[in-house]
Amino acid sequence: MHILRTLAIPALAMSLLAGSYATGHAENVKIGNIIPLSGPSATLGQQGKAAREMAVEEINAAGGIQSLGGAKFELVFADSESKPEKGVAEAERLINTEKVHVLTGCWNSAVTYPTTAVAERYGIPFVVPVSVSDKITEQGFKTVFRIAAKDSWWTRDQFSFLKDMEAEFGTKVERIAFVYENGDWGKGFAGQWKDLAEKGGYKVVLDEPYPSTATDLSPVVQKIRRSKADVLMLVSNAADAILLTNTLADYKVNLKAIIASGGGHADPSFLKTTGKNAQYLFDIVEWETDVNKPGAKETNDKYKAKYGQNLTGEAVDAYVAMYVLKDALERAASLEPEKIREALAATNLSSGPGMIVGYDAVKFDKTGQNENASLVMVQVNDVGNGLERVTIWPKSARRAGYTPVFPMPNK
Amino acid sequence: MLYIIEDSINGILMGSIYGLTAMGLTIIFGVLKVVNFAHGSMLMVGMYLAYWTVTLSGIHPYLAIVLVAPAMFFFGYYLQNIVIKPIFIAEKNVREPLTVIIVTTGIWYILDNMTLLIFGPQYRSLSDNPLSGQMLEIGQMFISVPKLYGCITALITALGIYWFFQKTDMGRAIRATSMDREAASLMGINQYKIYNVAFGIGAATAGIAAVTLVPFYNIFPTVGVLFDIKGFIIVVLGGLGSIGGALVGGIIIGLIESVGPQFMTATWTEAIVYGLFLVVLFVKPSGLFGQKHDW
Repeated sequence: MHILRTLAIPALAMSLLAGSYATGHAENVKIGNIIPLSGPSATLGQQGKAAREMAVEEINAAGGIQSLGGAKFELVFADSESKPEKGVAEAERLINTEKVHVLTGCWNSAVTYPTTAVAERYGIPFVVPVSVSDKITEQGFKTVFRIAAKDSWWTRDQFSFLKDMEAEFGTKVERIAFVYENGDWGKGFAGQWKDLAEKGGYKVVLDEPYPSTATDLSPVVQKIRRSKADVLMLVSNAADAILLTNTLADYKVNLKAIIASGGGHADPSFLKTTGKNAQYLFDIVEWETDVNKPGAKETNDKYKAKYGQNLTGEAVDAYVAMYVLKDALERAASLEPEKIREALAATNLSSGPGMIVGYDAVKFDKTGQNENASLVMVQVNDVGNGLERVTIWPKSARRAGYTPVFPMPNK
Repeated sequence: MLYIIEDSINGILMGSIYGLTAMGLTIIFGVLKVVNFAHGSMLMVGMYLAYWTVTLSGIHPYLAIVLVAPAMFFFGYYLQNIVIKPIFIAEKNVREPLTVIIVTTGIWYILDNMTLLIFGPQYRSLSDNPLSGQMLEIGQMFISVPKLYGCITALITALGIYWFFQKTDMGRAIRATSMDREAASLMGINQYKIYNVAFGIGAATAGIAAVTLVPFYNIFPTVGVLFDIKGFIIVVLGGLGSIGGALVGGIIIGLIESVGPQFMTATWTEAIVYGLFLVVLFVKPSGLFGQKHDW
């Protein structure tokens, strides 16, 4: 590592020199990115790196920042290894030694939380593409801007989706059943569901945690069947998601809708192992490759050709973050941190390249949270190419020509 | 009331399958006097074997027994002969050699990780088999056909093993070794060969259990762990070494898991199962059908 680093510094200096000659005399915009490039979340960090690089390549090829004389974006990456203390140290280094103008990161909420405090102290704007913990934008900081939806919005959007579906299809939902794995994740969701159900005027007919290690879920399925619920909401890991879906079909449980929360229901092997039993299931995700937004398909194709995999929600947020920065710098026309911060705070980005998210615009509220950020709901259905996940909500992102199936047909 | 009957039937069916998964464990313990921590992994190997047999040949899932049970027998036989026997010989003066337990734990890790390397972490299932999703519908009651098949298979297997132990020379030799390995050796029984056979039979029953699970359960590299923990509880509950005990222990756990959730959440039934395990250890450490003195 150390050898690499000592080699990297002269190399960086060379590229800096080369860069400044190539762009005339405009100073480059240095963007420091603290993401997990090794350690347990490395695959996600690598996706974030790839997405940033692709966006920056596009921005620079299109002429960089016009208001700064065609200044180019220059990415500086630092590895957090998913460790909070590493993130903090790298933030100090990037600000003091590398003299970055903006920071982004850190994917792991536990790293982002203390690292944003460093940026706040130096007054350096910090764009958080995705770290979902609510508290990140609730620290009263001026320099933090988060693009992704926060944790508590997942459940909020599941209920908004349900309300929208009821209105769109004129079907009333009254009885809701909650079934969830009994870990932090499931219990956290269930707690928020209860509040939302109460506010929405629904009747909770079943509130059932179950162990993810269960080898037989037919007792739980029997309870769902006997509760005569209209809608079933689930939080499941992989093995139990498969088992539940198959057992629900075996027992011919009639529901108007099943709304899942990603996780096991989004596992790549889920559709293969459940097949037709998963048809009409609704699931919530950050982003899906078929969102009906201009440029989404092209961007995904380009990414896939370059890096061999589809864009994920995390990668899209990182990609969009670069365009949000471009937009802000264009308006700031300055590299001064305070000017950039003010421009970021006034962001209202609704179109142009990079806006491939499921919602309409990026706009930050007082806390720095993107107030429009929402999640995407998909429905598992067969539209001629076998079972797949079809984006249906928000309605503006719905796949062209697709009508969701709601309520589910009886078995 | 109808609910209780329906849930009890599911509990008995699923419980007897649990009993079948634990049967190999109890046989191996009865003879070798060591807990085979790799039992869940042997079940997992059996499931992959059954899965690929059925997927590649397209036969009825239960026909896979013809291939899986003998293949698992030889797998267990040679696993014991090549890997475990040398440790037994090195520790022949110890009645319950601890190192063997460590070796079986090693086998567990090796098998699980090898499967992960070869087949990846994906979940698989036989979604298009003649048994999947089959239900007997009696009025409002639902009875799962693949579980019913599993229950019948468990009973036949238990009876078959019982007959084999009681009526054949090899069975008698196995029982003699399990009662007193020194005395059996003095009578001219090669105890290491008996260990091989017992381990083979244990692995074969794991293979049969795997075949009963494959039509309705998922297959993944760590699937064995889920049944392993249950298997230990069942075996202690029923009595270590007792074949009937494994079946009864399995059914008790199946009933708690199935009927319990009517009165509480599914998380609590798990706590009750573990609680029962502790109570049995306190009150009757030899289990329901175990022998107090086995030498």
